[in-house]
Amino acid sequence: MDPLALGGLVALFTVVVLFSGVPVAVGLLIVATGFLYVFDGPRSLQALPELFYGDLNSFALLSIPMFIIMGAAISSTRAGPDLYEALERWLTRVPGGLLVSNLGACALFAAMSGSSPATCAAIGKMGIPEMRKRGYPDEVAAGSIAAGGTLGILIPPSVTMIVYGIATETSIGRLFLAGVLPGILLVSLFIAWAIFDTWRRGAAGVALSGVTYSWREKFEILPRVIPFIVIIAGVLYALYGGIATPSETAAVGALLCIVVAVVVYKMVQPAALWAVLRDSTRESVMILFIIGAAGVFSFMLSSLFVTQSIAAWIADLDVNRWVLMGVINVFLLVAGFFLPPVAVILMSAPILLPIITAAGFDPYWFAVIVTINMEIGLITPPVGLNLYVINGIAPDISLKKILVGSMPFVLCMVLAIIILSAFPSIVTWLPDYLMGPEL
Amino acid sequence: MSYSASAPRTLPLAIRLILGISTLCGIVASLMMFAAVLITCHMIFVRNVLNQSTVWQTEVVIYLMIAATLIGLSYVQKLRGHVGVDLLPTLLPQRMRRGLGIATLVVTAVMIAVMLYYGYDMWHFAWQRGWKSETVLAAPLWIPYLAIPVGFALFLLQLLADLWLSVTAFPMDAKGLPAIGLEMSEDY
Repeated sequence: MDPLALGGLVALFTVVVLFSGVPVAVGLLIVATGFLYVFDGPRSLQALPELFYGDLNSFALLSIPMFIIMGAAISSTRAGPDLYEALERWLTRVPGGLLVSNLGACALFAAMSGSSPATCAAIGKMGIPEMRKRGYPDEVAAGSIAAGGTLGILIPPSVTMIVYGIATETSIGRLFLAGVLPGILLVSLFIAWAIFDTWRRGAAGVALSGVTYSWREKFEILPRVIPFIVIIAGVLYALYGGIATPSETAAVGALLCIVVAVVVYKMVQPAALWAVLRDSTRESVMILFIIGAAGVFSFMLSSLFVTQSIAAWIADLDVNRWVLMGVINVFLLVAGFFLPPVAVILMSAPILLPIITAAGFDPYWFAVIVTINMEIGLITPPVGLNLYVINGIAPDISLKKILVGSMPFVLCMVLAIIILSAFPSIVTWLPDYLMGPEL
Repeated sequence: MSYSASAPRTLPLAIRLILGISTLCGIVASLMMFAAVLITCHMIFVRNVLNQSTVWQTEVVIYLMIAATLIGLSYVQKLRGHVGVDLLPTLLPQRMRRGLGIATLVVTAVMIAVMLYYGYDMWHFAWQRGWKSETVLAAPLWIPYLAIPVGFALFLLQLLADLWLSVTAFPMDAKGLPAIGLEMSEDY
């Protein structure tokens, strides 16, 4: 059978199998096993566990559970609300200060916890009622937190970026840096839209006025937020100073965050510690299972020459590279509507990366584009977890209002993709400046 | 919040036992991950502070991570933590949803049984022929490989328990799977 037609068949079967509702990892194993059995013979199945094991057999992968434990430890404390309060107290003189502190706290906390729903819950629990109390429209309050939570997968340290780095064999350190300026761009766009929307809905007065805090109040909150920020800064410093690999720094960060949670936040009950380990194990096992299964899946694709023939086919089509990028964006967007970011990246990276690099795109720039597409999936139905989290913490704001409030932020992300396409150096400048041009 | 096998007492002993085993697997997997954190930190301490070379840490940490993943599969299944595209199940009417849930459980169980079958082979070869890792440590590979058949076997058990609950009209969640362990995912 022609490898290209086979590729179409694989795509069709994958969609059907995944939509049945089986776990993503199992779905990938089923499709891979089925095609290997039919087209490579029953003997090829003997290699299944070896492929699965071999894909997990990597020290670089360890950074995933380590960063997840770190994030879970931070999320289990009051760090989110504290961070929000600190920004609120310090930014009162900034116009629209409350929005800035909400989105800023989202960006920072999302980076530290690495979890989008955890960010929405931690910041939104305080931020949404406070915004509504001061007269911000419900849509703005809900939408800004839902969108702010998605920043975690772009701003370092990000598990999504690590998975991309492993799937494409690109430098994780460089990927982390690549996400920084686009992250700031997105936060700025979010803030600009939120302030404009508040003004448009006739609530400009509340957006611009603030509550004042005494210096005492401003300083007393700092000791509660500084430890985690110092740890994250230390982790990133160790990573870029070449002192240790991502896995090693993440392990130290995880241990330190648990220690801070116990010492500073008095998390001494065994049940609370167990909750941190349980939640991070649940998340890590889910992701690592998908990674192992995706390894088997991509082995099947390349052993049946699907990967190679798709790349050759696209090259033969000779379309404009931006048309190609547009099509890839639509594909990623649709996939992101239904699948978690990690699964989309693992399934598509082996096929897309050769196409991307052949068309002259930078793999680090592409990582950021992929990630922003995945962020959109987090606040759009049907999987948009953030929407449901907001609905859970503010049950009197209807899901429809949350959706209406979030949609403009989706457009902000699309705008960011366009801006980054026009000015790719926003992505590549920082890694090139700090780490030198890529060899 | 209770972390014990949170099933009502009317369930047969075998099912309660499987749910309990899955929770135990979760505890073991969590401890393995935590051990990986500590060993990695220890490795950095030995290398950067004591300036000595490290021999076994990297390899052991990888084995722990893989074992935690495989052993944790059944627990994550019990928590309904394996993500999937649940759009279709949530759109279907009750009866069809249960039917689809049963069908996906059967397919999943068959797939995992295949992995178990070949995984056992892989472990058996390593054990019989005394394969060792190609490192300074030269660890006998049957030890890390053991996680493959054990992990998939325990996962299969949990799937069969879920299947039994589905067939016996146990209350169902939005994905069409038996609604066990929901109280544990609320805080997530």
